[in-house]
Amino acid sequence: MKDEPVDFALIGHQESWRATADVFALLRGPEYPPVPDEEIMSIVPWIPPRAVCHVQTHSRLGRKANGLYIDSFIPPDRLDPAFLQENLKRVRGAAAYAIKAGARIVSLGGFSSILIEGNFDMIPDRGATVFTTGNSLTVAFIVSGIRKMCAQEGRDLRHATVLIVGATGDVGSGCARCLAPLAGRMILCARNMERLRRLQEELEMQGVPVDVAASILELPARADVVVCAASLPSPSLLLGQLAPEAVICDAGYPKNLAPLANRNGWKVFYGGLGQVTSGMTFAPAVGGVLNRHPFRDVVHGCLLEGMTLAWERRFEPFSEGRGFITPQRVEEMEKMADRHGICLAPLYNSDGPIEIRHDCEPEGIGQWV
Amino acid sequence: MEAASRMNDATAVVARTTPLEASIWQDVLAQAITGELIASMNYESLAEICTDAEEKADALEHAASERGHAAAFANEGRGLGVVPQDNVEGQYWKRLRAAFLRCIAERDFVGCLIIQEVMLESFAVASYARIGKVGPGSLGKTFAAIAAEEEEHIDHAMSTLRADRALDAQSFDEKVHRLHLDVMTTLAEMLAREDKNGHCEVCHGNCMKASLPGVGLTTSELRGASLQQYLTTLDMLGLPGEMTLEWVTRLPV
Repeated sequence: MKDEPVDFALIGHQESWRATADVFALLRGPEYPPVPDEEIMSIVPWIPPRAVCHVQTHSRLGRKANGLYIDSFIPPDRLDPAFLQENLKRVRGAAAYAIKAGARIVSLGGFSSILIEGNFDMIPDRGATVFTTGNSLTVAFIVSGIRKMCAQEGRDLRHATVLIVGATGDVGSGCARCLAPLAGRMILCARNMERLRRLQEELEMQGVPVDVAASILELPARADVVVCAASLPSPSLLLGQLAPEAVICDAGYPKNLAPLANRNGWKVFYGGLGQVTSGMTFAPAVGGVLNRHPFRDVVHGCLLEGMTLAWERRFEPFSEGRGFITPQRVEEMEKMADRHGICLAPLYNSDGPIEIRHDCEPEGIGQWV
Repeated sequence: MEAASRMNDATAVVARTTPLEASIWQDVLAQAITGELIASMNYESLAEICTDAEEKADALEHAASERGHAAAFANEGRGLGVVPQDNVEGQYWKRLRAAFLRCIAERDFVGCLIIQEVMLESFAVASYARIGKVGPGSLGKTFAAIAAEEEEHIDHAMSTLRADRALDAQSFDEKVHRLHLDVMTTLAEMLAREDKNGHCEVCHGNCMKASLPGVGLTTSELRGASLQQYLTTLDMLGLPGEMTLEWVTRLPV
């Protein structure tokens, strides 16, 4: 696996110090004395971006692709704007590592794509390597999850008020475009009012009533269905604005909404996740600690997009960022992933797996276009 | 005129430095001087096994340069009114020297370069650069200037090491790993928060590590910066990042 050409690279970072410490401990091995967490927290921020493991994947069609998981080692507690330049440097370093490794396509996971904001020119000397934000597949899994959860809860999206928090971002605007044709009413929430107005106009042209709000404290109505496309600084503020038993998709990274919401009766699930049904192999065997979900081979959609494109031998910047995700592209990507055996991951939240009735399993894909 | 200005600068630094701070700098300088003397001895030993006249001249030039660094640090001590005591027999430095001498005994020129230029210089460059940022007056400037000079040493050795790796990457990487287990383990123990092996035999009183925040430094910062420089240097040589990451996670803390 190590000496084979690198078809794809996945750039990511750990969402918590617990996850970081687990990866560190696994790499260190059981034969060495454990390292206290505070020592790990003092060492990890100094580690330059680099590969953590090789990943070998097999598609349902029998295609093989070799990849690398590259960690930018962004410390989990340094995601706020004060560390923007430092984190950008790390993402660029991770991208340079992928390019040097000869990766043909690179997916930008977690915060990486937000930092680059679709401006791949920030990554110099890309050579033959192409980059995708991976957000088309993330949007596909968020929307599929919403449909599945609404079916489970007996909600009719056509009569629902759907709120998108972080609506002007790449993932948020993609979700808004995919959900608007299905929803009764849309509420878009984001700080940039100019971009919100543009998206509002675009969606209203399709005949959907759309309201906008620059703050979650200014929402014009109570939402029944919510997509949190970004981590929330104050989850409790949002929860106070929602209808009782609202369906909520927590799609931020890191996720910080679910533990609070689960205690209060809302129907929360973690969104944007897919499952590789034909399996993955990691060397060294870090798969068990990188996958922190209660099901095997579950990965964020953004990372799975690069894997899918590698199987398809379509080395192209499928998702370029900057809010250009359309329902057509989302459908195309979801069908492509499905063909190779990547499907919506079983739904779960911080309390564990969510039991879904059989009649609520996906009826097919791409039905929102 | 320039000499008078330097003297004024030094006088001002002494006036601003408290006795506690001067005592901490004394130990920092003692470690730096010892490291430079070890480096000088290593280059002198290296010269003895060089078969190429130019390489031999280079090694001797580096040895002289490292002695010059030691003298510059000693001079900074005098400027602060302290006398840093070097000790190349101090437990950690002695182990590092012994590792180098094992390569000399095997006439392993490449192994010597890996120890001195990749491992010890990574430690020196990163540590000196951090000290250069917080050191008062000419002390900080001296550390920063020597960090830059040491970095040039690394650049100089890189082409030789890259060429050797190009011949047989697997053997090269195995050699680096073998030396890593020896040398980097010693450096990691030296930079650990506590001296589990007892006194380092270089500091003039108790271990200085706990006192470092008194001059704007911490052991975890020096260790982190050193590991970062080391990993970056190994990346530049072409060693797989996932492999060197595993090595570093296994070091003692």
